[in-house]
Amino acid sequence: MDPLKPADAKPMGREGVAQSSTSAAPVVPSPGPVTPAAPSRDVTGLIAELGLTEDHAAEPTALVTPGDLLRAAQALKDHGFMLMDTVGIDYSTYTEARPKRFAVLHNIYHPRDHRRVFLRVWLDDGEVLPSLYPVWRAANYLEREVYDLMGVTFTGHPDLRKVLTPDDLEGHPLRKDFPLGETPTLFREGRHLDPAAFRAGLTGRDAGLTGYRGELRRGRGEDRLPPVMPEGGPK
Amino acid sequence: MTTAPERPGALPEGQMHTQIMSLNVGPQHPSTHGVLRLVVDMDGEYVVKVTPHMGYLHTGFEKTFENRTYQQGVTYAPRTDYLHSFGHELAYVLSVEKLLQADVPERATTVRVILHELGRIHSHLVFVGTGLLDLGALTPFFYAFREKEALQDLFEAVCGYRMNQGYFRVGGLYRDIPDGWPARVEKFLDQMERGVTEYSTLFAQNPIFLDRAKGVGVIPPEVAINLGLTGPNLRASGVPLDHRKDNPYCGYESYDFNVITSTDGDSLARFNMRLLEFGESIKIVRQALKRLRPGPVKDPNRKISLPPRHELETSMEAVIHHFKLVTEGFHPPTGEVYVPVESARGEVGYYIVSDGGSMPYRVKIRAPSFVNLQALEYACVGAQFADLITILATIDPVLGDVDR
Repeated sequence: MDPLKPADAKPMGREGVAQSSTSAAPVVPSPGPVTPAAPSRDVTGLIAELGLTEDHAAEPTALVTPGDLLRAAQALKDHGFMLMDTVGIDYSTYTEARPKRFAVLHNIYHPRDHRRVFLRVWLDDGEVLPSLYPVWRAANYLEREVYDLMGVTFTGHPDLRKVLTPDDLEGHPLRKDFPLGETPTLFREGRHLDPAAFRAGLTGRDAGLTGYRGELRRGRGEDRLPPVMPEGGPK
Repeated sequence: MTTAPERPGALPEGQMHTQIMSLNVGPQHPSTHGVLRLVVDMDGEYVVKVTPHMGYLHTGFEKTFENRTYQQGVTYAPRTDYLHSFGHELAYVLSVEKLLQADVPERATTVRVILHELGRIHSHLVFVGTGLLDLGALTPFFYAFREKEALQDLFEAVCGYRMNQGYFRVGGLYRDIPDGWPARVEKFLDQMERGVTEYSTLFAQNPIFLDRAKGVGVIPPEVAINLGLTGPNLRASGVPLDHRKDNPYCGYESYDFNVITSTDGDSLARFNMRLLEFGESIKIVRQALKRLRPGPVKDPNRKISLPPRHELETSMEAVIHHFKLVTEGFHPPTGEVYVPVESARGEVGYYIVSDGGSMPYRVKIRAPSFVNLQALEYACVGAQFADLITILATIDPVLGDVDR
């Protein structure tokens, strides 16, 4: 069944006026007695029920294999969970050893009993993940963002395009090996940011690319040289 | 009179065949609340498909966080959602404090609650003003911005900035609130209460507005959950999700307020939701003002907060702490944390990965506007073009929050 078309769906828009209820005023619940103690937020039982292993972290996290992801997500959805966020992390320069280079975490939350669980999938560069779009439509933009900024490909996503960076930017900026102005940032058709010109602008030796004449902020080796005042004072 | 020749897919008599037309809205368009480009496929006056193109405000905050110390990150957090800056600031500092196990003093927490709620009022005021402006109603803008000005004066008094405040610090606040500020807030709340009554009588019952908002862009609850909506947009569809009640932070469990929901899920419900939330925020701020007691506003731990200025003149240890904090910052233990916060737009959370260094290893912002914007593609199908503007206005995205 199409999740966006519930069984009793009616047409939207102007024609849909008749279907809206008559009272437009939102309901203010009367300040009655405080709701009884909330059910446990513990998800250990739930993770075991889904046949997953728990990752012992500060936040409740379950380890999932890429092949198991769709099944686990569908089971969580059947429990009433919703997808809040998708986080991509590149662990390539992390201080501790990690099983694989990337991790994708799906932040999943239950809107009624308020349990939260993170599904963590480990993967290497070039590996693909199944898209959660068939389960939750919320995955649409979230996975596009991870694809754009982290370079993880999702199979089964209907519209996997870049979402935030310019169409002609090559590379994935949130990867740890993405250059930060030190090597040419390539755009298509030969456009690029020249690091030397960019740095020169930062050090105040000349106007550089941006004309910004700020102070040297970071860098190594010869970049450590202090800014040089041009002959005859600042222009 | 000739009849049109029969052809496949012919419409019933009396309706015209029209070509699907693609209409470009934005990026510079007054009703897109920033720079959002929409490609709208239209069949006559009806919307067939909406394709948003975002990223015009993308400045790579998440990458910037990785190259700044934790304390410097407070500068960037408010710049994402510039209308409810305190929501993002709070989410960021709460996450770092969870990593550090910092001990935030009572007074700092109470001031945070006050500013968090005033920020919500600020954001909803802009919603009421510009939202109706998009629908062609010019007057509400001036009414809402009258209160917004007063509110920004309060923000300026407390930290020097009218927007993008950056007032919270990891472990407390930048400095204590100025003398007489609580009284000014009280005065503002009275003004705000009168304002809300005025808005309700002036335009919430306006027949033209009701015509354009009622039954437009209905999002049923199961669809809203599927699309990942949070905040007032989700509550307008009847799901009472509010992290102030469900996952209380900053002592929200001890405040008396209601979570407002509606069952309609249309644009009018989303609009009225904000009008009623003014009242709840005012209630919370009133209670918080009563709880303000004199006391410190920073974690006394010198490994986290800067020592006071006068100590630098007498204590060598204070100078060393000051030097280490300013040049290097503190080093939280390794770990990954996430603290959800209810901002004016929905769930804001910072997923922070620490590798033990003085800068975060990775910061992922859960931006509510980005996810909420997905509802646009759903809610606009079948609506008229003018309804698209209504729906976009009531979904209330902030493009800084969408693009980060």
